[in-house]
Amino acid sequence: MDSSARQKDSLAERLERIDRRVVYLLIALALSLPIIFGWKLPPAEMETADSFFRVVDELQPQQGKIVLIASDWGPGTQAENKPQTMIAMEHLMRKRIPFALISITPYAAPFLESMPRDIKEKLEAETPGETWNYGTDWINFGYRPGLIIMIQGLAKASDLHEVLKTDVSGTPLADLSIMDGVHTIRDISMLMEFTGLVSAFNYWVQFFQADGYRPPFVHGCTSITIPEAYIYYVSKQIVGLYEGVAGAAWYETLLTKKYPGRESGTALKINTSLAVAHVVIIALMILGNIGFLVRRGDS
Amino acid sequence: MNSAETALFGLPWWQAFVGGICTIAIFSFLYKENPFYRFFEHLYIGIATGIGVMATINTFLWPTVLKPMVGADRIPFPDGTYAEPYNEFYLLYLIPIAFGSLYYFILSRKHNWLAQLVIGFTLGYGGGLAFKATFNEMLPQLEDSFRPLYVAQQGAQSGIDWLATLSNLVFLFTLLTALSYFFFTFRRSEGGPAEKSALAGRWMMMGCFGAFFGATIMARMALLVERLEFLINKWFPLFFA
Repeated sequence: MDSSARQKDSLAERLERIDRRVVYLLIALALSLPIIFGWKLPPAEMETADSFFRVVDELQPQQGKIVLIASDWGPGTQAENKPQTMIAMEHLMRKRIPFALISITPYAAPFLESMPRDIKEKLEAETPGETWNYGTDWINFGYRPGLIIMIQGLAKASDLHEVLKTDVSGTPLADLSIMDGVHTIRDISMLMEFTGLVSAFNYWVQFFQADGYRPPFVHGCTSITIPEAYIYYVSKQIVGLYEGVAGAAWYETLLTKKYPGRESGTALKINTSLAVAHVVIIALMILGNIGFLVRRGDS
Repeated sequence: MNSAETALFGLPWWQAFVGGICTIAIFSFLYKENPFYRFFEHLYIGIATGIGVMATINTFLWPTVLKPMVGADRIPFPDGTYAEPYNEFYLLYLIPIAFGSLYYFILSRKHNWLAQLVIGFTLGYGGGLAFKATFNEMLPQLEDSFRPLYVAQQGAQSGIDWLATLSNLVFLFTLLTALSYFFFTFRRSEGGPAEKSALAGRWMMMGCFGAFFGATIMARMALLVERLEFLINKWFPLFFA
């Protein structure tokens, strides 16, 4: 083997066997640069998120009706589920549609407290004079254990006040005006469910229905569960879907189009970082394959 | 202590500081296995378990079960009386509590049959719910799988909607071939249509697994970007702001 062939071989070998720590470093850089420099790429248009936006936008505030937001995620998937939940919540708050927060995951509890308050602060800063208040614009039922037993109990309840009794801080539901007239599943005008767990999503699909009624159901999943969640969208069991953080980023674009003065959230930032990292991953895959093909050609 | 110092060592400062240390400790595994990583991994598991237990006690067991049982949910008046009388029926909660507690007999060799009563009960209701769940979940999907192989244009246009028709054909092909892959009850003749169909089904599933893998990479990157965002925007400024 002459020296040029040896050189070619070693280059191909190096391309094929890039140290994993170098790959990690490149990925970390690719993800960090857009955050450091504040780059924002326009997100891809998504029909599923379009549909999510449309059904929420068509919803009108009605006395005695609330939207139920099942926020079944914790710190592990907050990168995707938090922007999703917040953007949907913001849309509801802007439309003055009251909503209730609930979770079957204990790790969601702090987020159920902080998210609506963060949005309230943002909206009140944006529109001086207007206020959003706990108990009239939203309510927090907190973490409710029991999984399917709890979900089925909610769906079949003849009076939700009896089943839930109090909000997260122990205030009786009768003392909170948002719950006036809200008694059964039929008073829930929409169910929004955000999770990284397929099983949590399945529980709501399977058990949150009673007497032939199931509220329109929209869902936000993490990227890893998109292929599974898509089945439910195609079969119309859900009428809107956030496909990971990319779905939230597109939703954010739609919301900014509708409310031009709004300050954009984190979904666009994360989505841009992901796009750059994907380019790096694809480039690494191509390089690895070139190395493999060159070596195979030589041998 | 002035306000700047309070901000420096206040609770939010420590929260962000400890959060950054934990994040870096977990990421140190990417370089190589080390005791720093191992310690924080155990810490994380312990905290997660503790949060789960305490959340169940604080949000369910105490307010919904124990508080009414001991009558602590009643509003007291200054003269020592209560807004409502004590409801003895809440003591009936003791029956399911006692029954559920039988599960702990699983630790006893002599009496572990008592735990089996609880397990049997759990399996029974679990089976019943699973039966219902399958129908609620699968029937709409089954219904959706009956798709027309000729889709007409919507609205004023007439003729065939080629895209929708092609989409339904691909769907039907994938459905049938993937199902045929899982027929293990008869012998497929070599090179016969059943084997070819199963092979096509396998290829279709490979495409699906590829989509899953791509989605997995995207999800993992999203988890990482959230931590990086925390380090860049909240942790590093602790030292340089």
